[in-house]
Amino acid sequence: MLDERLVLLLAGAAIVYGCAPQRPYRTPPAPVPSAPQTVRVPPAPPPPPAAAEPARKTLPQEAKIPEQDLKRGTVPPSSSRESAKEPPSSVPENTAPPLPDNSSLLAKIGPGTSPQRAASLRLTEEGRRLLDAGDATKALTRLEQTIVIDSSNPYGYFYLAKAQHQLRRYRESLNFLDVAQARMGGDPFWVAEIHALRGDNFRALGMIDKAQSSYAQSLRLNSGNRTASDGLSRLQPADSTGAPH
Amino acid sequence: MNKSKLRIFTNSIVVTLLLTTTGLVFGGWLLKDWQDAVTKKFEGRKWVHPSKIYSDSYLLYVGIRVRPEDLREKLRRLGYVQTASQPRSKGEYRYPAGGALLEVYLHDFAYPTEAFKGIPVKISLQDSVVTRIENATNAQELFSLELEPELATGLYERTWQERQVVKLNEVPPLLIRAVLAIEDERFYSHHGIDPIGLLRASWVNLKNLGLVQGGSTLTQQLMKNFFLSDERKLSRKAKEAVMALIAERKYSKDEILENYLNEIYLGQKGSQGIFGVSEAAQFYFSRQLNELSVGEMALMAGLIRAPNRLSPYRSLEAATKRRNVVLTKLLDDQIITRKQYDIASKEPLRHRELIKVVNDAPFYVDYLKRELAENYSDEVLKQEGLRIFTSLDLHLQKIAERALSSGLKKLEESHASLRRKPDEDSLEGAIIVLRPQTGEIKAMVGGRSYAKSQFNRVFQAKRQPGSVFKPFVYLAAFIYGGQEGGRYYPDTQVSDSKFTWVYDKQEWQPNNYNDDYFGSVTVRRALEMSLNSATSRVARDVGIRRVRDIAHRMGIQSTLPAVPSLSLGSAEVTPLEIAVAFSTLANNGVRTQPLAVKQVVNADTKVLEKRDVRVEQILSPSVAFMMNNLLKGVLDRGTAAQARSWGFNRPAAGKTGTTNDYKDAWFVGYTPDLLALVWVGFDNQNKVGLSGAQAALPIWTEFMKSATASMPVSDFLPPPSPEVPQESAPKSKCETDPGAEGCMPAATPVRQTAEKL
Repeated sequence: MLDERLVLLLAGAAIVYGCAPQRPYRTPPAPVPSAPQTVRVPPAPPPPPAAAEPARKTLPQEAKIPEQDLKRGTVPPSSSRESAKEPPSSVPENTAPPLPDNSSLLAKIGPGTSPQRAASLRLTEEGRRLLDAGDATKALTRLEQTIVIDSSNPYGYFYLAKAQHQLRRYRESLNFLDVAQARMGGDPFWVAEIHALRGDNFRALGMIDKAQSSYAQSLRLNSGNRTASDGLSRLQPADSTGAPH
Repeated sequence: MNKSKLRIFTNSIVVTLLLTTTGLVFGGWLLKDWQDAVTKKFEGRKWVHPSKIYSDSYLLYVGIRVRPEDLREKLRRLGYVQTASQPRSKGEYRYPAGGALLEVYLHDFAYPTEAFKGIPVKISLQDSVVTRIENATNAQELFSLELEPELATGLYERTWQERQVVKLNEVPPLLIRAVLAIEDERFYSHHGIDPIGLLRASWVNLKNLGLVQGGSTLTQQLMKNFFLSDERKLSRKAKEAVMALIAERKYSKDEILENYLNEIYLGQKGSQGIFGVSEAAQFYFSRQLNELSVGEMALMAGLIRAPNRLSPYRSLEAATKRRNVVLTKLLDDQIITRKQYDIASKEPLRHRELIKVVNDAPFYVDYLKRELAENYSDEVLKQEGLRIFTSLDLHLQKIAERALSSGLKKLEESHASLRRKPDEDSLEGAIIVLRPQTGEIKAMVGGRSYAKSQFNRVFQAKRQPGSVFKPFVYLAAFIYGGQEGGRYYPDTQVSDSKFTWVYDKQEWQPNNYNDDYFGSVTVRRALEMSLNSATSRVARDVGIRRVRDIAHRMGIQSTLPAVPSLSLGSAEVTPLEIAVAFSTLANNGVRTQPLAVKQVVNADTKVLEKRDVRVEQILSPSVAFMMNNLLKGVLDRGTAAQARSWGFNRPAAGKTGTTNDYKDAWFVGYTPDLLALVWVGFDNQNKVGLSGAQAALPIWTEFMKSATASMPVSDFLPPPSPEVPQESAPKSKCETDPGAEGCMPAATPVRQTAEKL
């Protein structure tokens, strides 16, 4: 009760206080804010793609790479690289030139492709484009969906390995490569890709012998594998070329 | 005046002076205290933001099978509203062609890595299969689309205040003017309290015979919301007035207005309170503030008076009436034109179903909290507005809860021995559901009733797995072979007869169920019939340490003593461990890490943490395929064959488990795409008295029938050749050719028996 009376007393005093001159403020009839902004800024709408694209998480414009640019060039084999340390091979030696299977994964979708595999390949292709655009984090999220839809899709695992490699998680990348290889079968182009990326991981981990072996395996399957040839050349630059240390 | 009177007078003066001085000192102190409180509130942290837990998103793609009722339910849970006409606003959908076409205007959603702006889409369906998806704005074909994650629950202290804080310049001017017109016309003219406004409000209310305007200024309302209770006491009103004056002296009108528009309570969605105009725009109209129509802004302003009574969720009539009162006021004040008024007042308010957020996955959420506690304090989780994206599938979660609840009830009904008095420990159970390819935990039910017991039996209960452990024995046999050099294949003959295993000068004798022994049996038959004696003989030949090693490699983390009884599942493990180990088989020998928390994003949309899928090829795909093939036999011909008669006909593998004292009943089973484990038992270790096939299998079957209803049928595929060499995986004819004679199931089903220990 006493408290109530005291508060009333103070209220009276405060009214006097309130009516005292105050810091001036503007008194417009109504606030006129600047153009409204949304809290969430959506990305710019992507241009219409050639192939069907997912409704959500459409690629940023810079990630839209023309189909022809996705085809990576091949590098003629170097004789010195060819004569690299002979690795133990688990893959049958392929003396015939490997098929150039480095086109868009969308090309693997045919009339007999299951809907799961088709959807998984499309997402893999999108993940691949994101990786090429340097967005490994976003690619990883997309690529994880590929194995949810179709866990037998080896390309999903391969590009997951690639994303992990880009994120410098080399051991994780090696694990995904094991799975990719187990699901890949005998496609020499892709097995060579797997070995090459495995070599890159081993090199990054400082496991030079294993890296060398993996690169060599890759080149035996596909002498034009640029990743492997570049990797090998990085492993032995000084001694083989006589360049100063 | 006599002396005594003078003394009384003097004393009175002294007392009065003392009281006045004390009052002034105390009043000054109180005023200072309130001033500090106002300053602290304005300049410090005004609001706490509960963290929100989201389910996994749902990916639709061309070719996916989806039951229309499931899709409809999904849209309903996400707050989409079915309309008769073509969807024109975010959050609307319709089936214009009797189920063959679905038109949806997708919601906006801020995903961890990007913000998605809702678009209208058309989804064509034929026989429940998605045949085409297109962007309805430009007819561009899409190959997939993602429905946003569902809000599963929030993590909060006492009340859940849902609020999106916006700057004043992000609020449409018309909405501001509508709020001022209806709540505090003289806001820019008064100093915090408004006697003129009070009189005017009284007059307006009298004229309208109702409460049209309030007497409190916005500043007073803000002070009340910031500091005070709702009690109708004079002292509270006085304190509110004083604090309003303090705030007005210290802060600009715009600062006060911005705080007000973010602070104001505007509705209730179950346990979530809706605060601030931005959150309310989403809640009532699924729109951003800058997308609101004149009528919607008028309604929002009108709702401030009594958000729940006037809510369009509660009464379209009351909401429309209130909106029109505000529109009239806006027209009278010449804030809107007659044309705007005419259009807005004729805008029909659509009925929307209020989807309350109820924590449907309390055990799952507890598991998440435990995971999150490693990196985030309780305070951070409850106050910093984190958004936690998880693997949870609320559809599967509900199916799992239903299956467990009804399954346990049926068991009690059919077995009197399982019934308990209300004060006793009742029959309990647990289900965990994993996606083998990724390790994602899709659902988790840790017990029968979270309200009664929060003990999560999925990861907190350590129980003997019984026969569920046997596949590890045979895996070790396939991989390592016998210690004498013998190899094991599915068609290898093993002896199923009584024997004594001598170890460390001790003897151990395994017994078969009913003491039935079958002489010489194949490995396949021994596993399908869950024969104890044959399995123990294999374990002895292989070496129990190797069996233990395989179990650990597969994902069992509990300590496993290398003793003979381990081969029959005597070591205690959690259901989660068993589920992870079997998911390695389902995933062709690739072990994944259990994944519940996927991403944690802070209030500034910065990703604090992303947990990725982690894999490791633990078994050769051939060995995994061989074991899957054997465990398919358990469902097709063995101890779990009843699942087929109950209507679960997909290719699936699994294993029943019963402990030798009938305290635990298990079934773990999987298709290539989904694994579920069911455990049934009593917390106090009472006997269930039923086998895994009798107690756990019916619940598993019930769950899997519903859970896989819209999934494509898939079988375990043999690995492509050649494959990764596995040093630890010796080649056998069944590995290199799992279809060879003796490796594939026997043509003639073997005699079915009840669960063997």
